[in-house]
Amino acid sequence: MKKRIYIFIFLILNTTSILAETTEEKGLRIAMQSYENSRGYVDSQSDQLMILIDPKGNEVIREISGKTLENDDPNDGDKSIIFFNKPKDVEGTVMLSHTHVNDDDDQWLYLPALGRVKRISSSNKSGAFMGSEISFEDFSGLDYRKYDWKYLGEEEYEGEICFKLESYPKYKNSGYTKRVGLTDSHFRARKIDYYDRKGELLKTIHFEDYHLYLDRIWNADTFKVVNHQNNNSTIYKWINRELNVGLNKKDFEKSSLLKLSD
Amino acid sequence: MHKSYTTLLYILISLSVLTSSNHSFALEYKSYGYIQPELSYFLDGKGRHNQSKDKPSIFGQGTFITYVQDDAAKITVNVIGRYDDKDNNRTYFDLQKFKYEYFLDDATLSIGNDIIFWGVNESFHVVDIINQSNIAENIAGTKKLGQPMLTLSLYKEIGDINLYIMPYFRERIFPGSEGRPRYTAEINEDSVIYESSNEEKRIDLAIRFSKVVDDFDIGISHFRGNARDPELNVNQATLKLDPYYPILSQTGIDIQATKESWLYKLEALAGKIESENHVRAAGGFEYTFYGINDTSQDLGIVAEYLFDDRNSNPFNNETALAVRWTKNDINSTALLAGAYLDLRGDSNRFFCEYEKRLKDDVKLFMDASINGHINSNDFTYAFKDDSSLTIKVAKYF
Repeated sequence: MKKRIYIFIFLILNTTSILAETTEEKGLRIAMQSYENSRGYVDSQSDQLMILIDPKGNEVIREISGKTLENDDPNDGDKSIIFFNKPKDVEGTVMLSHTHVNDDDDQWLYLPALGRVKRISSSNKSGAFMGSEISFEDFSGLDYRKYDWKYLGEEEYEGEICFKLESYPKYKNSGYTKRVGLTDSHFRARKIDYYDRKGELLKTIHFEDYHLYLDRIWNADTFKVVNHQNNNSTIYKWINRELNVGLNKKDFEKSSLLKLSD
Repeated sequence: MHKSYTTLLYILISLSVLTSSNHSFALEYKSYGYIQPELSYFLDGKGRHNQSKDKPSIFGQGTFITYVQDDAAKITVNVIGRYDDKDNNRTYFDLQKFKYEYFLDDATLSIGNDIIFWGVNESFHVVDIINQSNIAENIAGTKKLGQPMLTLSLYKEIGDINLYIMPYFRERIFPGSEGRPRYTAEINEDSVIYESSNEEKRIDLAIRFSKVVDDFDIGISHFRGNARDPELNVNQATLKLDPYYPILSQTGIDIQATKESWLYKLEALAGKIESENHVRAAGGFEYTFYGINDTSQDLGIVAEYLFDDRNSNPFNNETALAVRWTKNDINSTALLAGAYLDLRGDSNRFFCEYEKRLKDDVKLFMDASINGHINSNDFTYAFKDDSSLTIKVAKYF
């Protein structure tokens, strides 16, 4: 309800100022719309499959499953639990994250061999996730609050006219200096180019396999990541994704890691 | 006592599996494990007790987990075992976890064998007390034995409270006469003495309170029961060492502060054995340089210091320094190298642990443990000639 009022006020403010909109304001408006469209999922669970491909075409598979809890707090991030299944040597490991918008996340890892829960530093949001070309930072790339925005114009992508947006991370430990992306008329990100800390093109993520969930939320069920510097690529797939499943909020706390571990 | 307890638990678990299968005919479960051949090679030739200069063995671990009673309960079985070609004491099976858990909204009730870790440190585990160590596995005591217990965990607004009732004590497993490293004198495991008249059947109790407050993870704990770490007394008749388990009371605290790339850690306890009080504490920091040289590699530095106010305790003024390199590549290549230093200058030991995934389900581990200078009055003098290289290959299934 709060969110609706928020959008409503935003729209009123927006219609009055739309004529004098700067490229920064327009960029932010599109990014906000895109983010708002993805909200209201309450919670979700899914299996996730990663195919890591090296330049010679060798493939390895990673499998995890995840649960996410939406945070209603407009100043804070969502909570997530990841269960590691493959490679088999990490089976039974569980990671809990309380994400924050422009700060380090809070993260705990359950290590089954030691029966130990460890609080870990999350200053490496930009690090390679399980040896892939995707980083933790990329999973929350839709969150408009994490970036400054600029609208660059229109560009055609796969036969559709898209908004071209440039964004600059606000988070000081971000792995990127800039992103340039295309967002379609359904406010769905289709493709983003990522520039590294030196300002050089690092990688491109193509967001594909869009499905409509709860009759109104578009989620890309495949991320295709190509690293232009090391020529590795990663295909990241969501399988059996369900939203609004009625997960227990209390399971997203440190004490639950032992309880949920399997 | 231990047998009847295991039988009771077995019946309980079987019943809960049977009663829950009313709804579904096929029992859904998850199982995984690994088998790991190992070979150690000692650099100084034969040992001081004429032990062999190599040590082959096979280690295995299996885990089985299933949810029952409409997911309100969980059964976990985790068994480990080793066959050691040389040391009989290192050939064993242990039910690390063999437990039934029942979940309530704000609480969990658990019965059975479990492994419970308390603390935050990397090197010096001060407050950790629930499980007995199997030092035939390694002298550092990081491999534990499953502890039979009844546990009640309460998840409250003020924090989490765990209560542990431990009806049966597990004696420490020591290296045998062919074990390497081993103590100078042999340990007579048939001549164990307890302070408690109930001996191993004494009911040990523990409670722990834990809470996360922003960047701080805090735990406060109390334990009263048979000490896990026995005194070793020379038996004048046999000239062997007889383990003696006094009753220990200890109150501990463990805190970790997580500040961006810095982790600050502290564990401390006040303990009492036979009306003698003691204080033991260890703490330090860990700092990680993420993405060194614009690669995905990380480099971490760990430094910890250990203090004990008992001069009689062989580990009362030690430091551990280590560097951890994580390549974050497809093979999860990692290296940990460092040193344990006695700050009075009596002993130092260097270690290096390398690991890398060779295939999807095969992982390689290579460890080196090298003793530096050790004075003849130091506790670790007995292990002076036991510098070793170890190679382990784990096959996961």
